[in-house]
Amino acid sequence: MEELRLLLVDDEEHFRQVLAKRLSRRGMAPEQAGSGEECLNLLEKRPMDVVILDVKMPGMDGLEVLRRIKERYERTEVILLTGYANTQDGVDGIKSGAFDYLSKPVELDHLAGKIKQAHEKILWEEERKKEADFRARMEQRMAAAERLASLGTLASVVAHEINNPLAIINDSVGWMQLLLSKPDMAEMHIKGQLEKGLGKIAKSVERAKKVTHQLLGFARKDDSVVSEVNLSQLVEEAVQLVEKEASYKEIEFVQEVDASLDSIRSDAFQLRQVLINLLTNAIHATGPKGRIKIRLQKDGEQAILTIQDTGQGIPQEDLERIFEPFFSTKPTGEGTGLGLFVTRGIVEKLGGTIEAESRLGEGTDFRITLPRVYQNEGSVEAEGRTDWLEKERDTASKPTTPGEKPS
Amino acid sequence: MKREPIKVLLVDDEEDFVEMLSLRLETVGEEVTSAYSGEQCLEMLEGKAIDVVILDVKMPGMDGIETLREIKRRFPAVEVILMTGHGTMESAIEGQALGAFDYLLKPADFNELMEKLEAARKRKVATKG
Repeated sequence: MEELRLLLVDDEEHFRQVLAKRLSRRGMAPEQAGSGEECLNLLEKRPMDVVILDVKMPGMDGLEVLRRIKERYERTEVILLTGYANTQDGVDGIKSGAFDYLSKPVELDHLAGKIKQAHEKILWEEERKKEADFRARMEQRMAAAERLASLGTLASVVAHEINNPLAIINDSVGWMQLLLSKPDMAEMHIKGQLEKGLGKIAKSVERAKKVTHQLLGFARKDDSVVSEVNLSQLVEEAVQLVEKEASYKEIEFVQEVDASLDSIRSDAFQLRQVLINLLTNAIHATGPKGRIKIRLQKDGEQAILTIQDTGQGIPQEDLERIFEPFFSTKPTGEGTGLGLFVTRGIVEKLGGTIEAESRLGEGTDFRITLPRVYQNEGSVEAEGRTDWLEKERDTASKPTTPGEKPS
Repeated sequence: MKREPIKVLLVDDEEDFVEMLSLRLETVGEEVTSAYSGEQCLEMLEGKAIDVVILDVKMPGMDGIETLREIKRRFPAVEVILMTGHGTMESAIEGQALGAFDYLLKPADFNELMEKLEAARKRKVATKG
């Protein structure tokens, strides 16, 4: 049994001292207070489990003290000591939340028994509360997992349903643009207006496509393909992919790699997506001639990846929301508000965590912790996947050159 | 100097999509044949010389993966580019294992599609003459 914190409150000092001594002998040494006020002051400094409280006291009487204790310290149990044969006080006390009452003169065995029962009740309630908290936490987690799963399914269905009509719009526009660019159209006087309208449609398709493709990126996180991933090499690749954008602002990349961190087992494709998302964000946040620092560390069974920008930082109220879907501080049409949402989805899917820390005016850190060995029953062993990815990377890193056709 | 048009077979159950992409490809000079199902795609291949099939993955009846398998069995020289609005990695990996040349997500960037068509035809010519 945990240490019992006991307080004895009675204005008759002699009675109190004797009772305290006898309780101490039974291993229940109480603290003491000589009045209701003293009792409440003491409780303010030190919480108590059980208070033995005399009802009949000058100044604030026991029933009033009881009410105040119950108001402020709902987990403290109170045993009232009432005058001989004064059951009315006891009944009133129980109504106000006392654990029980004993009438004076007090029989020590009886009192000790009641104290024990009160303490047991406290422990039992604590236990029950712990269990309830635990259950609530689990339920919350389950609900979140379910929501994510159904959101993933919904996202992929919606994205698919929208991608098809988008493709039709896209090719219709492209075709009309091609027709307008033919020599015999050069004379048409509304050619410019038509081109303007078509340009807007094409741009809007691009915008909608960004959203649906990112949603699919989120939905896709169920199909992890696990292989040996060399993180520093992956960082290097991701930096190369975003370097062009960074060079416009003369942003410098600094890499700091813990040499003892060898390859980890994870999903290279998805991790690259994560890196590109975070680096792109960092570039957008960082001003001209700024610096982006990428740090790789080993921490026991985990790898830690930190991306630190020297941007203006994120205000606290935004920081709490950045991982929410469709939250964006960029102007309408520029950010989908899905980047960090997808990023977190991927990291969590790979058994890791992501957190952001920001100092206004100094910059923001994104810190990803990944298990060095990711295990998941649903994941696929990478096999013959690499060259497919190589190809994808080639086309991604190469600027597209329309019209470059062999004759 | 006029280049040889790519003979494309476009397969998708979305008729509007087939129509518009065909028009666009024809406008840049390619030769396009249309099919609206996997079964129809295979029929077309029987009677026509095709360089590259652009194949939708998700179709009612015979789906893209099944169709791809049949194409590779019966017409191994024909290259296939898979296209889907549903970006599951699984079908990309499966498609590659079955011999697809590449994979595109709808709505695809036209320049990217053209590059892939060109590269697919090049491979077809290089490997099978």
